Amino acid sequence: MARIYQVPSHTRLWLALAVLLCSLPQLVKGPPWQAGLLLLVILIRWLVEQQRMTLPGRMVRSLLLIGAVVLTFYSFGRLYGPEAGVALLVSLFALKYLEVVQQRDAYVVIVLGYFVCATALLFSQAPGMFLYVVLCMTVLTTCLVGINHSDTRASGLLHGRRALVITLQAIPLMVVLFLLVPRVAPLWNMQVGGDKARTGMSDSMSPGQISELSESAELAFRVDFQGDMPPRAQRYWRGLTLSHYDGRTWQQAVPQGQPESEYLYQRGSEKPDWYKRLEGRRSPDQQYYRYQVIAEPTQRRWLFSLDVPFPLYGDVSLAKDMRLVANQPVSERFAYRVDSVPAVSAAINLTSQERQLMLSLPEGAGRKARGLAHQWRLESDSASDIAQRALDYFRDQPFHYTLRPPRLTVDPVDDFLFRTRRGFCEHYASSFTFLMRAAGVPARVVVGYQGGERNELGSHLLVRQYDAHAWSEIWLGGHGWTRVDPTGAVAPDRIELGLREALENSEDGRDLLDDLGLRRFSDGGLFAKVSQLMDYVDFRWQTWVLGYDSAFQSEFLEDLLGAVSPVRIAIALIVAVTLLMGLYALFLLWHGGNERLTLMEREYWRLHQRVSERGRPLEAGLTPMQLCQAISEQWPQAAIAADNWAKYYQKLHYDPVSLPNKQQKRHLRSLRNRLYKLLD
Amino acid sequence: MQLSAPLRNFYERWLARRLPSARQIVLDQRRIFIFPTGYGFFYLLVAALLFIGGINYENNLILALSFLLASLFMVAILHTFRNLSALGIRNGDSESGFAGEEGALEIVLFAQRREHHCVWLRWRGQDGQQISIRRGEEESLWLNLPLAERGRVMAPRLKVESRFPLGLLRTWSYVTLDHYCLAWPRPKESLDCPADGGKENQEAFSSGQSGNDEFQGLRSYIPGDSLRRVDWKGYAAGRGLNTKQFEEPVGGRLWLRWDRLPGIGEEQRLSVLCYWILQLDQQRQPYGLALPGLTLAPDTGDVHRWRLLDALAGYPDF
Repeated sequence: MARIYQVPSHTRLWLALAVLLCSLPQLVKGPPWQAGLLLLVILIRWLVEQQRMTLPGRMVRSLLLIGAVVLTFYSFGRLYGPEAGVALLVSLFALKYLEVVQQRDAYVVIVLGYFVCATALLFSQAPGMFLYVVLCMTVLTTCLVGINHSDTRASGLLHGRRALVITLQAIPLMVVLFLLVPRVAPLWNMQVGGDKARTGMSDSMSPGQISELSESAELAFRVDFQGDMPPRAQRYWRGLTLSHYDGRTWQQAVPQGQPESEYLYQRGSEKPDWYKRLEGRRSPDQQYYRYQVIAEPTQRRWLFSLDVPFPLYGDVSLAKDMRLVANQPVSERFAYRVDSVPAVSAAINLTSQERQLMLSLPEGAGRKARGLAHQWRLESDSASDIAQRALDYFRDQPFHYTLRPPRLTVDPVDDFLFRTRRGFCEHYASSFTFLMRAAGVPARVVVGYQGGERNELGSHLLVRQYDAHAWSEIWLGGHGWTRVDPTGAVAPDRIELGLREALENSEDGRDLLDDLGLRRFSDGGLFAKVSQLMDYVDFRWQTWVLGYDSAFQSEFLEDLLGAVSPVRIAIALIVAVTLLMGLYALFLLWHGGNERLTLMEREYWRLHQRVSERGRPLEAGLTPMQLCQAISEQWPQAAIAADNWAKYYQKLHYDPVSLPNKQQKRHLRSLRNRLYKLLD
Repeated sequence: MQLSAPLRNFYERWLARRLPSARQIVLDQRRIFIFPTGYGFFYLLVAALLFIGGINYENNLILALSFLLASLFMVAILHTFRNLSALGIRNGDSESGFAGEEGALEIVLFAQRREHHCVWLRWRGQDGQQISIRRGEEESLWLNLPLAERGRVMAPRLKVESRFPLGLLRTWSYVTLDHYCLAWPRPKESLDCPADGGKENQEAFSSGQSGNDEFQGLRSYIPGDSLRRVDWKGYAAGRGLNTKQFEEPVGGRLWLRWDRLPGIGEEQRLSVLCYWILQLDQQRQPYGLALPGLTLAPDTGDVHRWRLLDALAGYPDF
């Protein structure tokens, strides 16, 4: 016979809370009608529980369901796909909650809650979100406790406490499982969120583009160095090389007719000649930097690294212009590990097609500049001499470094070099490269980031969008591609101290910092400390939790177990789980278990046990006097001592007025010890 | 699930060996069984689905969530077990009844070490009753017991079950208490009173209601006195609880005798005796009972009646 079951009154509030908390992440980011639907459902349930109305019938519920489906289609244009799917799931969750009558329904709501929690993690993987989900899980567990507790007098708060205890005990087990359960390769591929806005650098450079980036404090990527970190002035994070100039915009280019397979080297594929030469130049005594980069999503393929990167780990390729390329567009945070060896850059050769490309200039642009470059070429005897003259030119003439340069009109090169003379790194890099090419030195523009801020807690490096930078590389015979940063000639602070300090040191810069709200990252107050701490937590979360994939896992297990084999993992898993469960079992089943003996009882039982061991076994239910009697019978010489003990024991134990104090207890113990000596 | 007969027998024997009967039982791990409920299996399926989802989306946090679900399940094993472990069960009172009707047994549950929530008790084929016991307290529960035949009806195997706290697992134990309920014989009407003593047996019966009891006086109430003889008017008037004393009836003491019912079967005899006990009790006649091996002196009152009925139920082992 099935009894009519109703969700107990002490659990109704918890159930409503669970539904609300689990749906909240979706309500915040989803369309507003979802919040409306949930509020309506909660209102109806509240009225029903107050017995002000009856539960809506099948008709109303079906209408609500159809409404939710239609609205989902209206909001997302489809009913499948992650966003629409989650919206549907959350609506279904709310509607299922509306019709909870039996225990079974409550179970279904709770299971749906687990799925809703999981979808919240699909869209945000921040540590805060995970904590929030664990909170939701605790509330869902509270509901489980509540619906299984049919006493009407039970208290809702106690359910919460019980669920909290269970969840807290489950968390260490979860960590063990997380660390040890082998990661399996995906069974089929799924990607979430392919249509997000692009941030960061674009694949071309025209005046004003990088200075725009400089106004953003958004994170570009983070770097975790194993070992030394190069000084700030050496931290040039190369992203792209731009070789084609149309008079206004620099763009990527490769010489005509060069196939990609020759230009890109992917690990595991056949090695092109230039890569073999690079490898051949490596030797163990060269200085190198080993680091892991966690890149923020850009939806682009290019990555950032120090000079001459050798990829160690990650789905990345190396291009001939010594930069890294991801094999797929970076749509989520992306990790790769690299060795950078600055010394091997000389191994790269320059083919005649490449030389031609690196010298090409647009027709008609920068006539005055060409003249200047020609003059330098005549006066100098080497390419490096020409470069030095150009840098001197920037240093000696009244050039200014500013984030708000005036507009360049007809001919950007001449206009900048001879008229405005106020510009940002992209102006300097562009005009310097132009001058070099005009003087017959192969040159290209490199865009990327320069510097980066160190997190004191984690000692990892944060590179933000305002660290975006552009510089030049020139080809020097015998040295290969050599970095020249003309911005350093104009504003050495930019390179030595970074953009923020450079701006702080200049007059108009400070106002600009205030305008942009960048200043708060620079002051050393509490806010900076907190933001450093948060960044540290986020970074470690990123590397240790989100980045804990099969490669990381096998590395970790190798450290832990010596070698990785399925048997060892299984044994480790069983041992760890058993240990934890054994610990809990001890705590749960014996904790507060047997009534603990009082001190007087202990005194009695100790003597009882000793007598039983030395002589005839005694019965359990003896009075102290009977115990004394038994002793006197077996050991006549101990009769007096036993009598003393028994009398004193009785005196203390049956004293109706006060409990024995410390001194009395000590005396009793000494009586017992004296008695022990006589029992031989 | 029905097992085939030999298996069923084997199972019953195994269970009887494993869980011997006793007057008092404290549940320990030897006696407690535990297994996931249907919802528990469903829950594990959900955890597995989330695991697959986490693998496919390469989302470590969803994996962690599925591990959290699995861990909650494992911890729930201990908590569910703990809810039944150390629960004490012992015999309580019993309430006898006539064969063919129902008696009841009282089961006392005591919690020495911890509280026990939402424990269900039931006998095979019956609805359960639920009870919660706080630590250090006792609670008791009456369970009805159908009485098929006269005699001692032993308590059937009791199933003690709980799903608390999460409903993911069911933990249960079978308890065979050394506890019985007495089934009195079903009264069987007969015209001849199998009694002797007194003046005229038949008369004593036929003129039973005519009021040959002469009111003699009052004495203070002794527990066991028939409530019909309590001086309720006097009690209402505040004179205390007294029992009316009557003169010995004219008929004198009646002895219901086993020997006076020759020629019919044992159960029949007991049924007739039972009928007459009830009749004579209604007539407030002092009556005694003589069975082979047991003689109970004549008296009146509820306690007397119960003693005699119990003797009939117990026959031939008193």
